[in-house]
Amino acid sequence: MNRSSHRFTVILLLVAAVAGLIAGCKKGGGGDGITIGVVLPITGREGKPGQYQREGIELAIKQINDKGGLTVNGKKLQLKEVFYDDGSDSAKSASLVERAISSDSATAVLGGYSTALGQAESVIPDRYQTPWITTGAAASTIFNHGYQYTFGTLSPTTLLGGITAEFLGAQVDQGKLKKGLKIAMAVENTDHGVDYAQGIEDWIKQHPGYFTIVFNEKFDLGSPDFSGLLQKIKSAKADIFLADAHLADYITMQRQYLQNGLHHQMISYGARGPEADAKKALGAGTDYIFAGIWWSKKLQYPQEQKFVNDYKQFTGREPDSWYAATAYDGMRALALAIEQANSTDKTAIRDALRKVELKDSLLPGGAMKFGPNGQVGNGFLIVQNKPGDKVDIVFPKDVATGDAIAPIPAK
Amino acid sequence: MTAVEFINLLISALLLAGLYAAVAVGMTIIYGVMKIVNLAHAGFMMLGAYFNYELFEWLHLDPMAGALLSLPVFFVFGMGVHWLLVRWLPKSDQPTLSSLLLMFGFWLVLQNVGYLIWGNSDRAILTAHRRTLPLGPITIPTAGLVVFIAAVTCLAVLQFILHKSWFGRSVTALIQNPYAAQIVGVDHQKTSQLTFGLGTAFAGFAGALMAMLFSFNPDFGRPFLVRAFVIIVLGGLESVTGVAFGALILALIETFGILFIPAGYQPAISFGLLVVVLLVFPTGIAGLLKRKWRLA
Repeated sequence: MNRSSHRFTVILLLVAAVAGLIAGCKKGGGGDGITIGVVLPITGREGKPGQYQREGIELAIKQINDKGGLTVNGKKLQLKEVFYDDGSDSAKSASLVERAISSDSATAVLGGYSTALGQAESVIPDRYQTPWITTGAAASTIFNHGYQYTFGTLSPTTLLGGITAEFLGAQVDQGKLKKGLKIAMAVENTDHGVDYAQGIEDWIKQHPGYFTIVFNEKFDLGSPDFSGLLQKIKSAKADIFLADAHLADYITMQRQYLQNGLHHQMISYGARGPEADAKKALGAGTDYIFAGIWWSKKLQYPQEQKFVNDYKQFTGREPDSWYAATAYDGMRALALAIEQANSTDKTAIRDALRKVELKDSLLPGGAMKFGPNGQVGNGFLIVQNKPGDKVDIVFPKDVATGDAIAPIPAK
Repeated sequence: MTAVEFINLLISALLLAGLYAAVAVGMTIIYGVMKIVNLAHAGFMMLGAYFNYELFEWLHLDPMAGALLSLPVFFVFGMGVHWLLVRWLPKSDQPTLSSLLLMFGFWLVLQNVGYLIWGNSDRAILTAHRRTLPLGPITIPTAGLVVFIAAVTCLAVLQFILHKSWFGRSVTALIQNPYAAQIVGVDHQKTSQLTFGLGTAFAGFAGALMAMLFSFNPDFGRPFLVRAFVIIVLGGLESVTGVAFGALILALIETFGILFIPAGYQPAISFGLLVVVLLVFPTGIAGLLKRKWRLA
């Protein structure tokens, strides 16, 4: 090997080593008590929401341990967390769930933020007959396989579509929108997008006369240009525009939507809308957009304010979006199920999870229960951006903090 | 489709082509001179976007000024990367696995450094050019127009440099025949380093321009990398004109193709085009036209 090749090999190895070091890190442990595996991304693409979810879980664990732990067979047992960072990598995510169960003897595992990572993890729990709760994945493909040990604290995306349509229907009932308006839908080409569109279509079928869908297409995630798609939407001459998109696509599409001079009576990007990053990028261009979200700190239940204060004390900042809340409730539901099972037997805990009801849940409705397929069915909150950086919960009526503005005023 | 809708779409395609050309040109000249498939190009674009973002956030610098400033900064950065990593690669007149792996590894490092510094949140720049320029019923997005003008101007300057300067002629000679170029006195190492700097400068510049149009995170650049490959195959490797030509074809097909097929199949347009061109015109459409021109 000549000198230049040798140097090159050394450089290549150094680059690989640095990449490896940056990409992954692990923190774990063993010992007495009940071991809970937590597998989430705190580095990589999904690092930030993954970190928020981890904080929600750790806050719940801390509060339980501060009260002495869980009572099982008359003994107080402390919860012990074994945490793994999957680096936003699906394959790694699944293998780390396996590792938490087989090597660390975790009694149950929480995690699976984002649909892709949740789907990868979801094949493991039944194999090891260990309860697994995803606190950040909602796609129906995770819950329609008949898995027996899979649970989830996010309501299904079909419900998001259904509640979006129900909200629009309520505007018709109130006389704000006319009956028979035409809807154009553009959803991302993922399970999330497909489920969202399905929810809207189902509602429209069940409520004939309210709306008709005149355009329905999927688009590719991360597309650099939506001008062709937006031209088709313009040609469809719809009254309402409903999209389902990730944040980056939401910002790009809305920017091009405005630049192409489009206007609809109502506009939504699914679960996206009130994000600070979008506001920063588009300014007043995000005004009047409405979105369906899983949780808001504006909810008026007494437990919400306590959670916000506890979280702030624990992390030094207020919860950003819904991420920490669903994770916090997932851990509390698991703790309650372990106590109700009065055992650390995994199948007994699974059976208890099927029956458990978290009566002081943070989620809309104030109580949380897993459905027959393991997924919760709490509703969504419809929020709407208003001028001056204001965001109001506008639906359902009983938790609304303001009235919906419909139709959107033409600029 | 009405005439107005057609013209609006044509304008969108032209604006997109300018951006695509700026994205692909840096990769093209690096491949042409060094036969390196620079996968780290996407990483340089991502850094360019964040570079512009930071200047905008902290110094309130106009994003267009930030994009222009990115050219010299990324030129020096590219020269540094060449000195540190690329110059050790074994020389070859064909792309090598080692160069591919090195640039891929370096892209991963850049990406993860991005995650460490900026996290994974999507960032965007709120430009002053948010609306449209109305010309009767025709609308031109002002941000897209500003980006297009900047991209085309820089490509024209690059074309001038490649044709009128000693460095440009050295680059052209190395692309056409590296052995003959060295025989007549072209310093391969020095020209390679300058070319890598220039390619990186254009990657950073393209990223900085895109920051005015799109939101971005440390994974930014990946979809554009694929499109750059298509443009290179379409336009050939010998000139900026070829790149512009390839970018225009891709942008036109992507923009108008979506009218006839569902939007979800948009990536299939670029990949399908790549496969067809590689099978039917292996030298690219530009090569084919050139051959026909010579025969005529």
